[in-house]
Amino acid sequence: MNVLIVEDDRALARELGIFLYNEHYYCDFARTGREASEKLFVNEYDFVLLDLGLPDQDGLQLLAQARQERNQKASIIILSARGSVDDRINGLNLGADDYLPKPYSLLELGSRMQAVTRRKHGVVLDKLAFGGFVLSLGDRSLRHSETLLDVTRKEFELLHYLLLHRGKVLTRLQLSEHIWGNTINDSADHDSNYINVHVKNLRKKLAQQDPATEWVETVRGIGYRLRLEANPDLTT
Amino acid sequence: MKLQRKLVLLTTLSKCLMAAVLLLILPWLVQTLVLGHTDAALRAELRQVQARIEQVGISEFLPQDQVQRRTHYDLLQDEFIDLQATTAKMPPDTIGTFPRQRQGSEVDFRVLRHSARYQGQPYIIEIGKSIESVQEVYKLLRNLAVYALLFVGLTTLLLELGVIGSLLRPFDHIVERLRAVQGPTPPDLPALRTSTSDFQYLDASIQQMLVKIQSVFEQERQFIATASHELLTPISVLQNRFENMLRAENLPEEAETQLVTSQKTLQRMTVTLRTLLLISRVENNQFARTEEVPVRLVLQEVIEELEDRINNEALVIHWNLTGEPVLAPANRSLIFTLFFNLLSNAIKYNQYGGQIELGGYSTPEGGYLLRICNTGKPIPAEHLPFIFERFRRFDEDAAEGYGLGLAVVRSIAQLHHITVQVESDEQRGTEFTLHLPPAA
Repeated sequence: MNVLIVEDDRALARELGIFLYNEHYYCDFARTGREASEKLFVNEYDFVLLDLGLPDQDGLQLLAQARQERNQKASIIILSARGSVDDRINGLNLGADDYLPKPYSLLELGSRMQAVTRRKHGVVLDKLAFGGFVLSLGDRSLRHSETLLDVTRKEFELLHYLLLHRGKVLTRLQLSEHIWGNTINDSADHDSNYINVHVKNLRKKLAQQDPATEWVETVRGIGYRLRLEANPDLTT
Repeated sequence: MKLQRKLVLLTTLSKCLMAAVLLLILPWLVQTLVLGHTDAALRAELRQVQARIEQVGISEFLPQDQVQRRTHYDLLQDEFIDLQATTAKMPPDTIGTFPRQRQGSEVDFRVLRHSARYQGQPYIIEIGKSIESVQEVYKLLRNLAVYALLFVGLTTLLLELGVIGSLLRPFDHIVERLRAVQGPTPPDLPALRTSTSDFQYLDASIQQMLVKIQSVFEQERQFIATASHELLTPISVLQNRFENMLRAENLPEEAETQLVTSQKTLQRMTVTLRTLLLISRVENNQFARTEEVPVRLVLQEVIEELEDRINNEALVIHWNLTGEPVLAPANRSLIFTLFFNLLSNAIKYNQYGGQIELGGYSTPEGGYLLRICNTGKPIPAEHLPFIFERFRRFDEDAAEGYGLGLAVVRSIAQLHHITVQVESDEQRGTEFTLHLPPAA
């Protein structure tokens, strides 16, 4: 998968590049709107990660141009510090596939890119399974064999995110960013402490069905990880 | 006391004073006026008598039987003429008030005494007028004066009330304008209509001041917006760098912990900046208010969002909302944030197993009064006036937020013309009251 990173801040572009490289994307960089236009004209990309505050033109203009070209198949995700509601709405109206306000967690970006890809290829991941549990995205339910577990929305989202990144350690911040999104809240620390509460409750509920396994593992000082299985059984 | 009342009071008092003085000097005034008038009349009559004597001689005035003296009275005995021959020296003319017997009672007469010679014989002519009628005149005049003063006093009072009121109306307008300046964006005010130059001057000065204040507000907002925006990119860089570092294999545990702690610090910066940006955007009117926001529904969404925390603290929510309040025009996401911050505080500062009450009712003016109460530890009275200010934190505990939550509430409320009040005491805990304006 080819990604064009349109970002005038070198350091930021670099970090993005490192992350995407590790996620097995091929990255190309553009630091101005003009450069981006040229590269879009010449190459084919699966993704364009677009910063709106470009030195030579408004990223929204670039977006509009890119969307007017017929054979432009790239999915466009806006990454911007201009987090105003209008920018978001304009961006999505102009045909962006998603919008992430800076600063975002790279993990969240990765998840969004995967989601966009799945949507594009019509792959609907409706059910995720681990152990004897099945997480259905359609009706937002969690079942263990025939038993329906009573999980709250937040617990569901937490488990879903852990499942998407199964086997990887997720920090409390990454989890809280995903769960609380951009709800402007006064207490981030408080929220990441709340992640502990959610995890505790979730563990209790999972343990009622499967007392033998500790599915959500604590990685001391960092965060949580969903335990890997021998054969992850993904039903689509 | 209002200026208008003071002015009216002042004019009324001065009028009363003048009236009192007038009434006090009235007897004297009447006395002198009437006496002067009487004296003039007496002199006129004296001239007539002299003329008559010149014409027909003195004998007409003298009785037949008595050469010496004769007194004429008019029918009512209000006046007399008295003529007598004298042998004494001729005294100069005098005029004075003497008591005289009249029909058995003593009456004051004003008497003009004049000596003249007729055919070599000196005479003294006395012409007198009773001044009993002076009292009558005085009474009449006094009554007249009292009525006139009352009438004049009342009419001028009413007139002044109206006139002073209308003269001072610009003053009220100016005060209204000043009161309307709540936040950085004062509403547009119609031009002040007055011909009073003082008010024009005052208004102009205030307008100038407002422009200044506005430009300062503007600069502050611009600064916050720019600074926050400029800072978000480097924070982004650091956050992503830490994330990438954490993904590295074989990282020493010490380093991992450090990175996570650093991320927390960054997160804190992020939240602060985002909140500042939000406030500046709200105050910059960068949010469209085009929606009809059903209050109950948004509150339910907020409660749902906070469900885990509520359960975790074993809190009980009481719904006591009557009716279906709607905010319009409004911005749904901002209203969500407003309720979210208030409820998240109601949870945060509550005690374990406490209660949160959401109550409200429509007001007669068509608005709605929404109450959000919690049974937490009350906010000390000395803190209450400042809780809506930025970075005001009264808890030493740093984990209790950054002191921006209520500042956001204030900005959003102002944008939507919602007034927020807070009361807090031991019995009832803390209660936020929101006066929602009538839906437009």
